[in-house]
Amino acid sequence: MSHEKNVCICRCEEVTEGEILRAIEEGARTVKGIKIRTQATMGLCQGRTCRRLIVNILSKHVDINDISKLEIGIRVPVRTIKIKNFIYDEGKGYE
Amino acid sequence: MGEEIIKKSQVVVIGAGPAGLCAAIEARKAGATVLVLDENDRPGGQLFKQIHKFFGSGKHWAGLRGFRIGENLLKEAGQLGVKILLNAEVYGIFDDMTVGYIRNGVEKAIKGERIIIATGGIENALPFPGGTLPGVMGAGGVQTMVNIHRVLPGKKILMVGSGNVGVIVSYQLMQAGAEVVGIVEAAGRVRAYEVHLNKIKRAGVPIYTSHVVKEAIGKDEVEGAIIARVDDNLNIIEGSEKHLDVDCLCIAVGLNPQIELPYIAGCKFSYIPERGGYIPVFDENMETSVKGIYVAGDVAGIEEASIAMEEGRLAGIACAGSLGLYDKETEEKLKKEVKKILRAMRTKHDSRIIHSLTGIPSNDRFEKGPVAVIECKEEIPCNPCESACVFGAIKVGEPITNPPVLFEEKCTGCGRCIPKCPGMAIFLIHKNYTDKTSLIKFPYEYLPVPEKGGLVSCVNRNGEIISRGRIIDIKASKKDDGTKIIAMEIPKEYFNDVRGIQIRGDGI
Ligand SMILES: Cc1cc2nc3c(=O)[nH]c(=O)nc-3n(C[C@H](O)[C@H](O)[C@H](O)COP(=O)(O)OP(=O)(O)OC[C@H]3O[C@@H](n4cnc5c(N)ncnc54)[C@H](O)[C@@H]3O)c2cc1C
Ligand code: FES
Repeated sequence: MSHEKNVCICRCEEVTEGEILRAIEEGARTVKGIKIRTQATMGLCQGRTCRRLIVNILSKHVDINDISKLEIGIRVPVRTIKIKNFIYDEGKGYE
Repeated sequence: MGEEIIKKSQVVVIGAGPAGLCAAIEARKAGATVLVLDENDRPGGQLFKQIHKFFGSGKHWAGLRGFRIGENLLKEAGQLGVKILLNAEVYGIFDDMTVGYIRNGVEKAIKGERIIIATGGIENALPFPGGTLPGVMGAGGVQTMVNIHRVLPGKKILMVGSGNVGVIVSYQLMQAGAEVVGIVEAAGRVRAYEVHLNKIKRAGVPIYTSHVVKEAIGKDEVEGAIIARVDDNLNIIEGSEKHLDVDCLCIAVGLNPQIELPYIAGCKFSYIPERGGYIPVFDENMETSVKGIYVAGDVAGIEEASIAMEEGRLAGIACAGSLGLYDKETEEKLKKEVKKILRAMRTKHDSRIIHSLTGIPSNDRFEKGPVAVIECKEEIPCNPCESACVFGAIKVGEPITNPPVLFEEKCTGCGRCIPKCPGMAIFLIHKNYTDKTSLIKFPYEYLPVPEKGGLVSCVNRNGEIISRGRIIDIKASKKDDGTKIIAMEIPKEYFNDVRGIQIRGDGI
């Protein structure tokens, strides 16, 4: 639905539609394929904004009905949280 | 999970929106221990941003403003002893049904025998040139700013998307004092319910169907927008560009289910674009393909709060049943009731069948005295008008998606139905108020309120000024929760055309 190739798709990593299309030209057929070529979905929001847009672009090239084939890259933690929240200190407890 | 002993709860609910709260209420009613986790500092999910009156059946407190429904659910949950942990961000679900969350910077975990995921939806982004400029915002963010923090995101707004969210947020922005310069919709027709659309049409907002945002312009922030007409394949028609003077673009192009948690829990998905995209597969108990994990509300497909609540109830009852807290018979009976309501709310609901107006009085009836005029002809799951009329002059019946029928001979012209219609689609018209004038009573929710006795500009259904009118009376009852009823005298020839007044116009 966008009309120019330099439209921003992944805001966190500043990846444009043109770069995503190029990744697909190079053979990317999954979200992971696009991620390792462009870094899209790897930003602060962890793809919560751009993943769906990328799947939309991919839908013109691959069948997107089966999510398990898209290597969509959702994993724990599903929210951006600080590493220090996971560090347990005998004396102080967490942090 | 460190050395901490993991706590347990029979049912763990993730998300304290209408779906999560209803699920928790039902599970608790059956005697389960229930813990609800939500990342916000107040519970209620989307409901707390909704200041408009909701559609729905009397049973769902329809006709109440969204945040009031949230308050009621909270009260009920509190009385039952449901535990709600706020500021608790769930980051994962693990194999042994443990839910990991962060609260006050500390990592914690709780183990549930059953887990109900009610994480709602997340807004769709829309890529276009200039779309990353400050001043381009999602409708959800705009609602949070305007309705919770009381800050206007801009003075001149372009709404992108004409679904219910776009149209309702436009209305709320105008209530807050902003100007909505237009609504842009790529499709050939408006997607929102007609009654919601009519509210903003009366305010004179231009609707650009078959149009898209070509570009947001501005150096450091939005200073304008270029919209353009599109053909049936959504390609921009050269030369149709139009510049609009705006300082904010509000994006309301749909939501998609927040599926991260069901995804990492290993649930199976199907792809249903009409419901927002990937949706966890669930059975008639709202249980996913992973045993013991349930979904409810927008995460199980984007619909409405009224449906989210029933899905939540269903999940809560089913969880309680599977934990052995209900005997089979009771469980089935309770589930059947909820399913019946769900079915009724979804009846023909998607097909948008348009009926002839069944709520309009005959010419004869107009001559006889004041009478209600119900301009509602779409299949909407909504019926507060029916119970508002104590004379039985309004019937919706079953299914609840029936448009209201007016029995004009029973209507006494009392006007009690006017503030009860969440769609603000009921007017009271006294054609022969005097020899030359008619009296119209209509609902009004803008500020400032016109003065009694004052002269104002009257608008028709499209917001065009067609005559002058005199304000005869203003009724502001506490019961109506902010909706004022304005009685206005107008020239008789316009009794069938005038449907409101110019907002913040002259004379106000
Ligand atoms: C402008 C607008 C107008 C609307 N008008 C109507 C109307 O008139 N009538 C109607 O019936 N419906 C209406 N709706 C729809 C209705 O608001 C939603 O369908 C409903 O709120 C969905 O409920 P839910 O419980 O599924 O999700 P939500 O209300 O979205 O609640 C989900 C909750 O889960 C929390 N959450 C999500 N992920 C996590 C996590 N990982 N950790 C912790 N917490 C998490 C969220 O923060 C949120 O509080 C409207 C919606 C909008 C936007
Ligand atoms: S928008 Fe792509 S990771 Fe945030």
